[in-house]
Amino acid sequence: MTTREDPDRLEAFLARIDRGERIEADDWMPDDYRQQLIRLIAMHAVSEIMGALPEKEWVPKAPTLYRKLAIMAKVQDEIGHGQLLMRVAEDLVAPLGKTREDLLDDLFSGRLKFHNVFHMPAPTWADAGIIAWLVDGAAIITQGMSLSSSYAPYVRALQRIVEEEGFHIQHGESICMALAEGSASQRHSLQAALERWWPALMMFFGPNEADHPSSHQKANLRYRIRTKTNEELRQRFLTKYVPRIRSLGLVPPDPTLHYDAEQGRWIYQQPDWEWFRRIINGQGPASSARLTLKRLTYEEGRWARAALAQGR
Amino acid sequence: MDGERLTFDVYEVFAQTDPLGPHQHQFSLLASSPEMAMALAQENFLRRREIYSIWVVRRDQIVKSGPKERERFYRLKKSYRLTEDYRYLADKWRRYRQAPMTPETMV
Repeated sequence: MTTREDPDRLEAFLARIDRGERIEADDWMPDDYRQQLIRLIAMHAVSEIMGALPEKEWVPKAPTLYRKLAIMAKVQDEIGHGQLLMRVAEDLVAPLGKTREDLLDDLFSGRLKFHNVFHMPAPTWADAGIIAWLVDGAAIITQGMSLSSSYAPYVRALQRIVEEEGFHIQHGESICMALAEGSASQRHSLQAALERWWPALMMFFGPNEADHPSSHQKANLRYRIRTKTNEELRQRFLTKYVPRIRSLGLVPPDPTLHYDAEQGRWIYQQPDWEWFRRIINGQGPASSARLTLKRLTYEEGRWARAALAQGR
Repeated sequence: MDGERLTFDVYEVFAQTDPLGPHQHQFSLLASSPEMAMALAQENFLRRREIYSIWVVRRDQIVKSGPKERERFYRLKKSYRLTEDYRYLADKWRRYRQAPMTPETMV
């Protein structure tokens, strides 16, 4: 890894990006491109793994056997997604002499962040429904965009993942519809879960950086790692989901929320972005419990990994 | 508990969903033996789909082309090797059906 790069090579690389070519793991790439990919894909990988935790809390408490089997399958899918993405990240860190263990150490030390939504508690069954419907719904909007990303190995993994996320959304829709059509207390618990998750959903795509985009967002757009801004993704989410949320008799907890036809965009109340920064830095309501659980299972499982590794 | 670093091999996984279809590359995974790779391929990633056959191959056993070859492959456009060059044949057959040639007209 050189820190100074040949300007001709860099120019040729950017020309490939501009032609819409896909980059492979063994292609020459600028260090900055590699770093942006590692940052994005490692974060996505550990978010899939940490994202399975709030839902797995509901496996023993699912209301019917059918729901238990379905949510178990979903949890298992999410861990599988984490593993697939971890492989993509590993191939990117390999030239830097790093492995999966280093990525997990970064997670435990807080250097590698996981998605803000997975720092939140899921106290009721309705939360499991809202996570599967709206959190996965938001995820599929980001991942749908990333299917046009310039890094081919990431896109290949995403093609599988997006297909399965489509199932997850339906699983969530089914839970939410059943509650919406149920008793007054079921409807109440669904509305309460929506209210609990609303700020996290508004933060899901990150701050609106239209006026001063971060250097990461600029680099990701330049390299066509991503093709849309945070705000474009949030607008797309609102367009798709606000009408559906309302059609279930639910009320998003934001009195200012409306579509402004003149501006062609949704107007909404900004979530507390200071809180967002605290959450992703490990100070969310469930951050420490989930990380502790993940670290504990990782440490307790070490003997099993060691036994398997000895089989070589 | 931290001691030596655990190392695993990368395995590439191929699967066939239908007996007449090709084995297609699916993803890669870490394992210490072909048996472990086979078990993980099924248990971690191939539960939702119907699978007919799985191949696992240690990545370092695969001979593969690299970036240089990819560039060269792009340039291999030989129209005479493609049926697209012969699309006009269908039009000709249509004309012959409407107005067949005879030994007389062929002189």
